[in-house]
Amino acid sequence: MSRTNIIALLIFGAVLGYFLSFGPATTQKFKAGVYGLLAPFLTGGSGIKKQITSVRSGLKSLDQLEHENAALQVENRELRATNQGLRDVEHEVNRLRHALNYRERSVFKLVAAEIIARDSSSWWRTVTINRGRRDAIETDMSVVTDVGLVGKTTTVSDTISVVLLVSDESCRIAASVEGSREQGIVSGERITRGMAPSLDLNFLSKQADLKPGQKVYTSGVGGVFPSGLLIGVVKTFRARELDGQAQLTPAVDLSHLEDVFVVTGRR
Amino acid sequence: MIFFGCLLVLVLAAQIAELFIPALPWLYNAHVYIVPIIVFYGAMALPFPLMLALAFFAGVLLDALTVQVIGGKVEISAGSSILLYGVLAGIMHGLRPLFARGRWEVHCILSGVFTSLMVLAQYLMITFRRGSLIFTPEIWWQIGGPGLFAMAVAPIFFWGLQWLGQITAYSYGPERAPIE
Repeated sequence: MSRTNIIALLIFGAVLGYFLSFGPATTQKFKAGVYGLLAPFLTGGSGIKKQITSVRSGLKSLDQLEHENAALQVENRELRATNQGLRDVEHEVNRLRHALNYRERSVFKLVAAEIIARDSSSWWRTVTINRGRRDAIETDMSVVTDVGLVGKTTTVSDTISVVLLVSDESCRIAASVEGSREQGIVSGERITRGMAPSLDLNFLSKQADLKPGQKVYTSGVGGVFPSGLLIGVVKTFRARELDGQAQLTPAVDLSHLEDVFVVTGRR
Repeated sequence: MIFFGCLLVLVLAAQIAELFIPALPWLYNAHVYIVPIIVFYGAMALPFPLMLALAFFAGVLLDALTVQVIGGKVEISAGSSILLYGVLAGIMHGLRPLFARGRWEVHCILSGVFTSLMVLAQYLMITFRRGSLIFTPEIWWQIGGPGLFAMAVAPIFFWGLQWLGQITAYSYGPERAPIE
């Protein structure tokens, strides 16, 4: 091995040792710093992705038109394109109106955010939102939609934040069940079976006997999630040797999220 | 150095692109990883010190984007991806003589195997942290899927990167006739 290679290896080892010595706070700062640097790329990439999706859906309607009527193809294409554009605008207006209504009637102080990127790895269920410290977002703040709980913020940079979804195994939420005195801890699964994620409600009593359709809310214990946020709906219940466990369907469709709200406090 | 700079830019671009590539629902939601393919090509095409620099850069990015601090605890410590990339790229660098003779088959296969090894290592680390070692078919697909994908696309990436090496007049690449 040449002298240059040995020096390079030593430098690599030293820097690696430095990184491995990071504690939670330093790791959080390091992550936030890198996210801060990547924020313009992530925001730009999100815009490009939206444009690509829009072009792709446009191509689909063109394909249908060709089959429907060859003679009126050109005229039809123009009309459909206009309609598609109007529908997109209408959808967006409805979505924003809905969101605005929710923000106005909510008991929480909410900061609206848009999802710009999704899961960055195989083992964590996260999304990245376009709001950060500049918008008064901090670590461990609840993230919701008008339907229910989405997750909590983990890494917060100046302009973007990472949200750990309720479907992640390491996101644990103290929960209570509607119409009963049962309390437990909700967490996601390590791996998603099929397209829709499922949540586990653990540490219930064996006699809980929850029925499908019963709603599960945050209990407020633990301090991260305020009480009364809908987490999901009971799918199945089974009594185990020492306790009971229920499987839940998340209240929010996590795979099609576009806009969310970060809870920054109570009104 | 121009080629090395290009590889750094490509690693950054690929790492960002990975965030926008959805998981493959027909492969048990397995993720698509492109960065390892570029790093492993760099491991063969670059001299040892630059190979370490590329592995370090890719590792820092991967750590920054994947390592999670939840409830004040780090799930996988920062630096673990740098170590993984460093070790695996080092092994790949050891196979450079074969690559220099223009033989890519072994490297394409190894790119896939090493990609899966990285995902497996991450899984073992979070399992160590969270407890209960589970290996279901879905988990095996999450580990093997990215590797299979990397193996399938590695020849295209390697060809593109070799072309990039040629147009940047990079002299340390494989000793092979120019691509027609």
